[in-house]
Amino acid sequence: MKIKIKISRCDPMGKGWCEPFLQAYDIEVKEGMTILDAIHLVKDVQDGTLAFRRSCRSAICGSCAVNINGFPKLACKTQLITEYRKKESMVIEPLSNHRVIKDLVVDFNPFWDKINKVEPWLNRKSAISHQPSAVSKKDVLKIDNSSKCIMCGCCNGACNTLEIDKHFIAPAALAKAWRFVGDVREGEKKKRLEKLSEAHGMWDCVRCVNCTQYCPKDVAPLQAIERLRAEAINQGVIDNHGAKHVKSMVDSVKRVGRLDEAAMTFKTLGFLRSLGMIPFGLKMEMHGKMPMPLIFPQIEKIEEVKKIYEEIEKRKEQVEVKVEK
Amino acid sequence: MAKTLKYAYYPGCASQAVTKEANSTTRKVAKILGIELHDMPKANCCGAGLLTDYDYDLSVALNARIFAQAEEIGMDIMTICSTCLMVMSTANRDLKSDPKLLEKTNAILAAAGLRYNGTIEVKQLLWVLAEDYGLENLKKKVAMPLKNLKVAPFYGCHSLRPSDALGFDDPERTWSLEAVITILGAEVVEYEGKNKCCGFQVDMITEDTAVEMTGKRLLDAKNEGGNCMVTPCPFCHINLDNYQGMAERKLNMKIGMPVFHLAQLVGLAMGMTAEDLELSRHLVSAKDVLKEANLL
Repeated sequence: MKIKIKISRCDPMGKGWCEPFLQAYDIEVKEGMTILDAIHLVKDVQDGTLAFRRSCRSAICGSCAVNINGFPKLACKTQLITEYRKKESMVIEPLSNHRVIKDLVVDFNPFWDKINKVEPWLNRKSAISHQPSAVSKKDVLKIDNSSKCIMCGCCNGACNTLEIDKHFIAPAALAKAWRFVGDVREGEKKKRLEKLSEAHGMWDCVRCVNCTQYCPKDVAPLQAIERLRAEAINQGVIDNHGAKHVKSMVDSVKRVGRLDEAAMTFKTLGFLRSLGMIPFGLKMEMHGKMPMPLIFPQIEKIEEVKKIYEEIEKRKEQVEVKVEK
Repeated sequence: MAKTLKYAYYPGCASQAVTKEANSTTRKVAKILGIELHDMPKANCCGAGLLTDYDYDLSVALNARIFAQAEEIGMDIMTICSTCLMVMSTANRDLKSDPKLLEKTNAILAAAGLRYNGTIEVKQLLWVLAEDYGLENLKKKVAMPLKNLKVAPFYGCHSLRPSDALGFDDPERTWSLEAVITILGAEVVEYEGKNKCCGFQVDMITEDTAVEMTGKRLLDAKNEGGNCMVTPCPFCHINLDNYQGMAERKLNMKIGMPVFHLAQLVGLAMGMTAEDLELSRHLVSAKDVLKEANLL
């Protein structure tokens, strides 16, 4: 079968900047061919000037992430014909949210800067000894997903917060952060969580779920972010809008069984920033959209919800007692 | 239609307060379509993802409490909130695929005298219209085709991802919202941001990011020729409509894009009036666009 694939081209030729354009290539495709095979074919027989990254061709090295019909995937792990049939077309572009160096090659320095920021190594509780420190299977499982990361950048390429805020720490580094915060041997958990709670940190994630959707190795970065947030609250790192927002939701559901918007705004933003919301609130009020505090009805059988909360608390205490023993 | 469709109706917290109009319009539309919506007065909040940021077990148990109520009346759940859909569907996926988690959750629920057997499905209005009710049947109810409306579909995130939990539409090749718009007689506007985030989750955390994100989606739709938007999610609506003014100030330009809840667009095509649809509750008026399209 002969198909047309379009590849994004861009060559700054020393100018430092270039306007990408799509170049079409007709190629003969065979069943089982991957996107990377197709890119190789183009470079080998049609256009030797095409630039792209690749190494292992086995979804291990994480070099060949590109946008395939608009979504970030590993070129070596993606079937060409399956992908082509989805839209009866094929466009291959560099990863989004990254500066293009040439054609499909993007600048990964910001990616590594973010990874470095979370200090991707273990800060042990105790001094290194020659004795092996055994970690139980259950404890390994908690951070197992995060350990699978091959640093391909698909998650950062798909991240909606990073699209808007280039300083956002982004999912790859957050998944890596959980790898260490969630490690039982780690000694600097709270310090790490305080740093992660700063501006452009873990609370800035908009929960678009793209990171988990497009990770080719099932790292599930969003789950790592949720675990980091839960651990931060657990460790008392709560002096920020993100943690306050979660706490106010937890309280609201316990109290009335649902979200009490007025109370949540106040608890999340505090008195002064809530005052700043007044002009907006008045406009909302004109359209009957202002959530009214205190009169929000509670759900029926709220006592069931309270019992579930109590049961969860009880179980947490039991775990803590066990740990102390 | 052979059998009456019945659902345990879960409007979600937003549509019981800020976006009340989505709730009331859904009820009216369902009545006309002959879809039975059964209230769940005991149902608690799904947690909107915030409870998973606090305690996963608590989040799953509270969602299982909602499912147990649906099981009690023997119906699947229909929600009109994408975030509720995503949170409930992921909890339900985990409970159904992990017998140990189901057992543990039931041990927690037992403290409240409850039990979930893992038998219900969670859907949203969009899916019910596109599949259960069916597009052909929906077409028969169209009294006033929405000619001249150029509608930009806005899915947002949580009606599409994570697709292994939702499993209805394909986030890379969406069809359901586009199909409903087409059946209603309107024109679908394609644009890049339709399956991206509105920014709602960080409204109170990093407002700058939220407002800029909202503005980007709106402008994107406008630049591709959209004269209005439709969304199946009340949180997306809060940002796209209520925050549009802030986005305009930030971008220093007028956008003026009216945003409909899905039920409102359906109701409009079925001949409901602007009063019925409670359009006056929106901050961005739809009046001019509807007048221009001869729909008012």
